[in-house]
Amino acid sequence: MMKISSKDYINELLAKGARESGRGLLDYRNIGIGLDRIPHAEGSAQVDIGNTRILAAVKITVGEPMLDKPDEGVLMTGAELLPLANPEYEMGPPTPEAIQFARVVDRGIRAANIIDTKSLFIEKDKVWCIFVDLYVLNYDGNLYDAGTLAATSALLSAKMPKYENEEVIREGNLARLKTNGVVTSCTFAKIGDKLLLDPDGSEEGAMSCNMTIANDEKVLRAMQKGLRGSLKPEELNSMVDTTFEKSKQLRDMIKKAVGE
Amino acid sequence: MTEKQQLIIDGKRVDGRRFDELRPIKIEAGVIKNAEGSAYLEWGDNKVLAAVYGPKEAMPKHVQDPNKAIIKCRYSMAPFSSKEEHGRSGPNRRAIEISKVTKEVFENVILLESFPGSEIDIFIEILQSDGGTRAAGITAAAVALASSGIPMKDVPFAVAVGKVGETLILDQNYIEDSGSDADMPIAMLPRTNEIVLMQMDGSLTKEQFASAVAMIAESGKEIGRIQREALEKKYKQVSA
Amino acid sequence: MNMKIIIPGDKIADGAVRMENAFVEDSKTYATVLGLLDEQSKAFIPLESVWYPREGDSLIGVVENVRNSVAMVNTNSTFRGLIIGRRGDSESEMNIGEVVSAFVREVKREADQIILILERPRKLFGGKLIFVKPSKISRVIGRQSTMLRQLETGTHCTISVGLNGVVWMKGGDVQLAIRAIDKIREEAHTSGLTERIAKMLASEAIK
Repeated sequence: MMKISSKDYINELLAKGARESGRGLLDYRNIGIGLDRIPHAEGSAQVDIGNTRILAAVKITVGEPMLDKPDEGVLMTGAELLPLANPEYEMGPPTPEAIQFARVVDRGIRAANIIDTKSLFIEKDKVWCIFVDLYVLNYDGNLYDAGTLAATSALLSAKMPKYENEEVIREGNLARLKTNGVVTSCTFAKIGDKLLLDPDGSEEGAMSCNMTIANDEKVLRAMQKGLRGSLKPEELNSMVDTTFEKSKQLRDMIKKAVGE
Repeated sequence: MTEKQQLIIDGKRVDGRRFDELRPIKIEAGVIKNAEGSAYLEWGDNKVLAAVYGPKEAMPKHVQDPNKAIIKCRYSMAPFSSKEEHGRSGPNRRAIEISKVTKEVFENVILLESFPGSEIDIFIEILQSDGGTRAAGITAAAVALASSGIPMKDVPFAVAVGKVGETLILDQNYIEDSGSDADMPIAMLPRTNEIVLMQMDGSLTKEQFASAVAMIAESGKEIGRIQREALEKKYKQVSA
Repeated sequence: MNMKIIIPGDKIADGAVRMENAFVEDSKTYATVLGLLDEQSKAFIPLESVWYPREGDSLIGVVENVRNSVAMVNTNSTFRGLIIGRRGDSESEMNIGEVVSAFVREVKREADQIILILERPRKLFGGKLIFVKPSKISRVIGRQSTMLRQLETGTHCTISVGLNGVVWMKGGDVQLAIRAIDKIREEAHTSGLTERIAKMLASEAIK
């Protein structure tokens, strides 16, 4: 309805090196990870970063492989910016924002080889298909990091169904889905000449551009810049450094939640 | 014996319930910070999120009604909501129909004339489904609306009745739904017992129909109590 | 005082009473919103309600459109505001995107909607805007503005409150003001709130 911009106020604070929440420029808000919210799904996780809340659910089923990869399983990531999450979100087909969100989270997971799709091959024309769905339940900035945390947590805690006598068995004692490593992302907003980690809703309203960097323990896995503004190489380097530094705490949170 | 008979064993239902017994229901109001009103509801294994936005100016302009608010309702099932396969994203025909009949429930209770030219948005997301999702959605949306402060004449509830053999069963879960000989979801306004949603398919005699409606009205006392508790909870907690 | 929480559809009185947030049916009065009912006096206080503008209401909105010296104001509700400027008077010129506080001079029923004719517009520059549900906003002001004055003194902020559910703050410890308002939001229906807020402001103010 009424769009309010806190640009001036945010810039006033930034001039003093401060943020609304009292956070440091490179601090995260409170992060919470809750697993198994949707028992019907093979894996699920709800992540809160401040007031942003995202639910990720993993469904695993048997289906046909992609035409260009006949001996590999399928991994698909979808996302919905639910209209109930934000007055700005409307009913209707996925917007470019929603599609970008799904694809960026997917890129991080895929590039980090969390799932070895070759191992999902069953027989000719039959492969395991893993569907990851991200449901944004409340928006207050930084969907990317919450989405990556939720998707990764859901995958790492998912149960692997069995395929017996042409049927998918989802009951009984199931083993965990086989995954490799942990991927997380760090998202920054550029406001004026300052870089802020984990922007909230007001800060995203004031930013000129944003940057999401996904990595695992060793290397960078995916990156995406959003919106109009521009970034200098030094700024990128600084964000990459911060990402490697801050991602450890994110990976630890996932490992703790998932019980590794 | 056919599969249907196995829905009732020794006078008990598959989950041990009596014929007129509801599954456990839990409701929490005010869970989506950005919404005007919201509720999270668990009904058996159903998990439902409902949220309300508005009243705000109706868009696009040509849908505006100069005399009253219009309601836009979206009922949607998450692709991960079923126990079995992964569903498609986006509304299917069933969801579109349920959105329509749900909207019509609330057109009965919201004081639409107070807000000419505006729209009120009701969103119902089924995160996990196990039979009776439209009833769960309406029951949750009613709480979301009541918590929003948008004026209403009553707080509707909904529940369905099914039939196994000649026995009526209240609040079927998914398995019972699949094997049932009738399915009749009804939404009612508890104060006046007015029926604001009525759908049925299968076979019911006149007497069975009357019994079913009575069973639903009776169960409304319990459902209404849970809705009321959810609304009161926020205000009972904080003491001066 | 015997206060009971009631929900929409609950009976307020056995007779027909003309009051807000209620409707009459068959000569009985029922609530239309969640609220507190004093069973003896039948006084009804809404705990949640939507803003229904009245003459004299203060509001805060954003200018969305300006044409022929008439500015259209978004009031974060279904009611649009109009500020009719004086032609040739550059001082009263409104610009798109500006935040403005004003008062409702007239609630006008047009052919297809309700328009609010606004008066005494004042531009609000910079500062921070937050939304507070209309049913809680009167507590942010308090009886005879006691709460509002307390907030301003305790945080050194200039604070403007719109009954349409918008609060504007500038100049002092805005974060403390927001925390205090959050607390008022949560506890709006309780007594002794003014004292508790006073204590909070005293203990959390940056010396």
